Amino acid sequence: MIRFRNATVVLIIAIVASGCAAVEQYSLVPHGSRQVGNVVVPVTGAWNRVPGRMLAYARDDAEVWTREGVLLDRFIVIPGVPEGQPIFAQKAESAALPKFQGGMLPHELAELTESSIVKLFGEGNTTVSTDNLRPHRFGEHRGVMFDFDAITSAGPRYRGIVGTAQVDGKLYLLMYLAVYPYYFDKTLADATAQIEAARLAAG
Amino acid sequence: MRGYPRIARMAIPVLACSSVFAAGIDIEPEIRPGYTPQPKSRDEQGLWMEMNDYEASLKKSPLLIRDKQLNDYATEIVCRVAGDYCGDIRVYLARNPGFNASMAPNGMMVIWSGLFTRVRSEDELATIIGHEIAHYLRLHSLKSWRKARRDFATGSVFTLGVGLVTGVLLPVGESLALLSSLAFSREQEQEADLLGLRLLAEAGYDPHAAYRVWETVIAEESNAAAKREKPGIFSRTHPDAESRAITLRETVSERFGPESDRNAEQERYVAALQSHYSQLMEDQIDTNRYGRTEFLLELHSAMGIDPGLVAFYRGEMFRQRGASGDTELARSAYLIAISTANPHPEAFRNLGYIALKSGDRSTAAEYFRQYLAASPEAGDREMIEFYLEEMP
Repeated sequence: MIRFRNATVVLIIAIVASGCAAVEQYSLVPHGSRQVGNVVVPVTGAWNRVPGRMLAYARDDAEVWTREGVLLDRFIVIPGVPEGQPIFAQKAESAALPKFQGGMLPHELAELTESSIVKLFGEGNTTVSTDNLRPHRFGEHRGVMFDFDAITSAGPRYRGIVGTAQVDGKLYLLMYLAVYPYYFDKTLADATAQIEAARLAAG
Repeated sequence: MRGYPRIARMAIPVLACSSVFAAGIDIEPEIRPGYTPQPKSRDEQGLWMEMNDYEASLKKSPLLIRDKQLNDYATEIVCRVAGDYCGDIRVYLARNPGFNASMAPNGMMVIWSGLFTRVRSEDELATIIGHEIAHYLRLHSLKSWRKARRDFATGSVFTLGVGLVTGVLLPVGESLALLSSLAFSREQEQEADLLGLRLLAEAGYDPHAAYRVWETVIAEESNAAAKREKPGIFSRTHPDAESRAITLRETVSERFGPESDRNAEQERYVAALQSHYSQLMEDQIDTNRYGRTEFLLELHSAMGIDPGLVAFYRGEMFRQRGASGDTELARSAYLIAISTANPHPEAFRNLGYIALKSGDRSTAAEYFRQYLAASPEAGDREMIEFYLEEMP
């Protein structure tokens, strides 16, 4: 009986220890520039990379950074969404996430993002509107930027900015969203600089 | 217009022959106007306290529709259906594109904006309102709460469930197991259907609306793109719409006679819907559930909503769906939209983009100019001007 109990304790410790080893932690995003897929982002200020396991909506190849915590601010880098796929991970087909289609025009990219953010915060609990759609060059590639405003039923109000471009049939998207006004304003300059200066890696 | 109350009073005793009555269920209200929790009913008092707290936070929700005209309109219908209970009910319109309404035991009624896009008449809207009031008059929430407490022995179940049903606290679609535990029983739903029908008829509304509304729900479900569009939350928390529609149709036809063309308040209803149509449809479009959107647009077209507006959102739906041939369908819809007296400015812009995609730059430029003329403060002006600078 005692031997059985000891064995159980050892087993539990082993499981916990192996679990701990496997758990991904928050990590500091190094200064300089960070490459996510083939998107190169100049890191401005201090950011923490959020463990993927915490973010059900993030695509496997995407990265999410935060400064104050994911509920307060997020900087999302989504590299190379192929045609026919959504910009966020879709766990169930019934979620009806909108999908990227090749050749989408600027307002369609804004609408794609708008509807995706509705799903991100919860359909029926969020209204999202986009504004200030404008052209922007990401290095040699033409793209667009726009702002958005997300009102959630019980949570805070979020605002965000998005930069996106289509290159070789894939969609590259960078998004900053944060609780408005305090946290949004606090990090807006750094986040905007990161989006505006993002480039595709050569080759 | 007021012919139905008398018919209804005669009909109610006859309704007692229906299956629910045959089972010995009395569908008289269980509470009187001005009802408050019973002094010795501590759990009911606690429930009211929780609901009052919830209501206090709901009042601050940024997703409430605060337009006075629409709120007054909804409250007027509620009062007409509720009769002497009018003073006990507070109405809140929540900006949520789903089909639902709910009523809490403390008299808080929440109507989702999606209900307005899904009913064809004031009579149908009054049907859903009457159904919810009937739940209230029969203390169904309290009974469900007591059942849930017995089942789960936890004090937080109801709060969460209310949030799910009202759609103002928690993300819709989560914790379905919890939600189903709080769903009214089939017997309670039958009671609410019959008492709701009585309230509807006594208020002078067309009792035939009681089943028409469910027939519309069924039609929308069948139009949803297969396997990728969940049933609406009302369908998930209420019993099978099909059997309910059949039962109600039989009951109403038997007791109130055949359908008539009567629809006295149709113009008023269409005007109310139309005054908020763009916001309601923008929210619907954002769900990306274009099978449902297409169905709703057919409904609105038949109801007489401004053809230009319906055509514009049909164009949006085709463009969002993006299936083979949809670009041309969208173009045709936008052309209809701009041919009307008061075209949606974005119809010009989207025609411009479609022309741009096809390589017709001069046509695109023309539409873009028309767009900026119609909407000088457009949020994407810089983008459009960028294109115009590049064009001949």
